[in-house]
Amino acid sequence: MGNIFSLVRNELGKIYVMKSTWAMYVFLVALVLFSFIMNTVTDSVDSETTYTDDWRTELQEENQTLTEEIETAGEDDPFVESTNMGIIQQNTYMLENDIRPYGYHAGNFVLDNLFTTSLVSLFVIIIAGGIVANEFRWGTIKQLLIRPISRGTILLSKYIALLLFTLFTVVFLLATSAIVGAIVYGAPVVNPEIIVNRPDGMASNALLPEIFMQYGFRVLNIVVLATFGFMISSIFRSSALAIGLSMFLMFIGTTVAQAMARYEWAKYILFANTDLSVYFSSYGPIREEMTIGFSVAVIAVYMVVFIITAWTIFIKRDVA
Amino acid sequence: MLVSDSAMAIRGLHKTIGRKKIIKDLNFDIRPGEVYGFIGPNGAGKTTTIRMMVGLIGITSGDVVIKGNSIKKNYKKAISEVGAIVENPEMYPFMTGKQNLKHFARMTRGITDARIDEVIRLVGLENAIQTKVGKYSLGMRQRLGIAQALLHSPSVLILDEPTNGLDPAGIREIRRYIRKLAVEDNVSVIVSSHLLSEIELMCDRIGVIKNGELIAVRDLHEKTDSEQSIVSLDVHPRDEAIEILNTAQHIKVLESDDQLKIQINRNDVPGLVTTLVQKDIQVYGVTVIQSTLEDQFLEMIGENVIG
Repeated sequence: MGNIFSLVRNELGKIYVMKSTWAMYVFLVALVLFSFIMNTVTDSVDSETTYTDDWRTELQEENQTLTEEIETAGEDDPFVESTNMGIIQQNTYMLENDIRPYGYHAGNFVLDNLFTTSLVSLFVIIIAGGIVANEFRWGTIKQLLIRPISRGTILLSKYIALLLFTLFTVVFLLATSAIVGAIVYGAPVVNPEIIVNRPDGMASNALLPEIFMQYGFRVLNIVVLATFGFMISSIFRSSALAIGLSMFLMFIGTTVAQAMARYEWAKYILFANTDLSVYFSSYGPIREEMTIGFSVAVIAVYMVVFIITAWTIFIKRDVA
Repeated sequence: MLVSDSAMAIRGLHKTIGRKKIIKDLNFDIRPGEVYGFIGPNGAGKTTTIRMMVGLIGITSGDVVIKGNSIKKNYKKAISEVGAIVENPEMYPFMTGKQNLKHFARMTRGITDARIDEVIRLVGLENAIQTKVGKYSLGMRQRLGIAQALLHSPSVLILDEPTNGLDPAGIREIRRYIRKLAVEDNVSVIVSSHLLSEIELMCDRIGVIKNGELIAVRDLHEKTDSEQSIVSLDVHPRDEAIEILNTAQHIKVLESDDQLKIQINRNDVPGLVTTLVQKDIQVYGVTVIQSTLEDQFLEMIGENVIG
């Protein structure tokens, strides 16, 4: 086990020596920029409004304006009412709980860009699907296995490399969002209190813990898919099959789980559990009786099964 | 031979896949510092045997013992003594030769950068080492494969069909450093081939495998004394020469078109020439055209039937 570090370094080296890997990072930057452009073009975020130290008065004035707008629009435009009521509620919550607003800033941009992690899922699935299968395709698996290192350790080093790749990529994405956000929207304070929606209504949380929590849940989701792809890659030695199956599950997994929600057994479906963020939002899990502890346990069982299956087959296989 | 004396001892080796017996009861020893040719037609089981030697595939029964360590029970210790190319010298095509060597060097402890440079020099890849392996010719990949196998200074080197895809000059070069490794560094080398002629000159011994069974082992150094060769004679006058060969020497002429072809022990050639000259036959040329080993080999293997 002493040289596991060298092995992981080898595996990461093989990932990052590929031009296609660097293309992935270019795509991520492009997606963040695209998100900013869409914000600007569609005018979907209010980046104009800023607040001074006299923010209490400013919030009250804003609420007044918004209420007048609703009255003017009347019943002709119900959309104005729902949008404005949301902002008024948020403003009121801030006033009541003494939370200072900063307008739209880098932190909000990072949180709004949570959707960009889907692209990371895709990239991690591609790497996971190839990490074992490609060695068979290149024929290098023979060179890899005739070393004084057990097959289990080789497989472990590949899995660790995959987890590190996931981590690096998500951190890169976070940093890109934060930097782009800071440049275009500014970052008034590092860790302001922000308003979040929880199952029991509005609440507040510090920005950084909220970012780590939300992105952390996404990472967990990605790791589950990656582990699945890794297993298929090890069993069938086919990257196409591993990538195809993982992507298929990524796209339909959650939908199928939701469609089956009325059956009790649906809660044991892996993808009914992989998104832990539902326990911290107004969505909630697909079945009422599910708890976060239950979901974590279900995920753990599936992961152990995936890893043991991959391991058993990999160490016993005849390498022809 | 004792298991402990040999560099590699193969004992009662069997491989069965499904109902097919691919390898049937192989027993042989590789001595320290010898080059052992593993000869057989395609499909005879050479690569399967090599895969078992390096632990890539399971052993149905029997064992491979390398420097006293069983590949089954003591894999890490056994494999530490082995460097190998199995089937083709496959490397990462998107990395340079140097990056490939560094990759494999990291998998064994204690391989220094100086050692990496040393093996690069040994196989003569200095000029191509910064080029991506995807651009290498088969000969260059073969050399890189050997460099990779030598990184950790193994005491047993296994090369599966090392002459595949090489031109005669390349084969000569490989032969040169395989001999050097065996003689100077006491490395035991196992080379497999389906063509005897390509590896005959580099081997000390050959084992012939057919249909998964070892059918003959021959020491090539004994060849000069006992082996018969086919010799072609360019002589004048021919009819008198044939007369002399038949009556005085009891040698049968196999063919007599332009030149005379006879089968004769190599050691008897000088005596024969002297006799012919004494009897006033003009000798224009004497050529040993073929070692009968090749013939014997072809005879031995006959038709290889898999199954």
